[in-house]
Amino acid sequence: MTIRLIAAYLLMGTGAAFAVVTVLGLLRFPDVYTRMHAAAVVLTMSAVLVTMGTAIYVWDFFLSAKIILIGIFFLFSNPMATHAIARASYKREIALPREYEIDAYSDYLGRDV
Amino acid sequence: MEIPTETQPEVESLNKLMKKTLVSVVLAGVALALYRSFALMPGYQGLNLGLSNYIIESGLKDTGSLNLITAVLYDYRAFDSLGESTVIFGAVSGIVLILSRKMLPVSSKGLSFIVKRTLGIMTPFIALFGLYIMSHGHLTPGGGFQGGVILAAISIIFSIVYGSAFDYRRYSPQTKTALETGGALTFLGLGLAGILMEGAFLQNLGFLTAETGTLISAGSIPYINIGVGFKVGAGLAIIFYSMIQKTFEEDF
Repeated sequence: MTIRLIAAYLLMGTGAAFAVVTVLGLLRFPDVYTRMHAAAVVLTMSAVLVTMGTAIYVWDFFLSAKIILIGIFFLFSNPMATHAIARASYKREIALPREYEIDAYSDYLGRDV
Repeated sequence: MEIPTETQPEVESLNKLMKKTLVSVVLAGVALALYRSFALMPGYQGLNLGLSNYIIESGLKDTGSLNLITAVLYDYRAFDSLGESTVIFGAVSGIVLILSRKMLPVSSKGLSFIVKRTLGIMTPFIALFGLYIMSHGHLTPGGGFQGGVILAAISIIFSIVYGSAFDYRRYSPQTKTALETGGALTFLGLGLAGILMEGAFLQNLGFLTAETGTLISAGSIPYINIGVGFKVGAGLAIIFYSMIQKTFEEDF
């Protein structure tokens, strides 16, 4: 029982650590796309780890199954949402990268940025 | 020629007088009925003694619904919920009247392939979750309005991710109108069934009660929930569909 609680706290603590990493990235990274890359960490890793930890913490079959379903939903939806936001903000030229040598997606779109 | 011009204003004024008298009588009758029903209400007895305490104590016994909020919304206060869904119907009608110019709007190509595939996997589960929230309104938190909003989200996802032409092909505005009308008619039909079988409008139907906690229990509450859910979902989908015209012309 105590091993189960330790595992749950370990998973939740790892998720919280990833959230701290996200905050650092949001503060330190230079432009929109790298910040989005940092924000995807809390959306995917942190949320999934915290739901896994909660599922181990409650340890009741139906309750844990529901929490794990929520985690799977995060795992599917959040990377997709990050992808959609980044792609839209690039294609609509809301924020364009200016300081990069190689911009492969711009070449793919046939755009000379 | 002169006689009609003499008598016409007299008849008209008489008609007006009769109309005014009739309106006054009807208004006085309505006021009396409202006063009589208002006088039946118990006075304020403090927070721990009044109506809230009664509902908490005997709500489950009266309605058979484990979720007391649903018991209040669709049994004690069902007439008010009927008014709320009528408000949504009025909002849908007004927005469609003002904004709708043509039936098929300019469609976008939708979002990228990744988003389309992912939502193709996820959308059936979203629909299942909406139906679950609607049908288990008397057992778990949720109910018709919440489940209906989740069902409306599916239509919004179709419009944004796959383009509004896809949404039009799958669920045309005619289908949505039929769903909304069907939901409202379910609600009203259950109310009229309450008059016929129990003696009061929207009274909980006694023959539908079953063991508390099962899916088909709590009288007419689950069916009202399902009707309200489809009505709200279709109404919000219609509002969104008439608002997106000429908005998503370019693809992202």
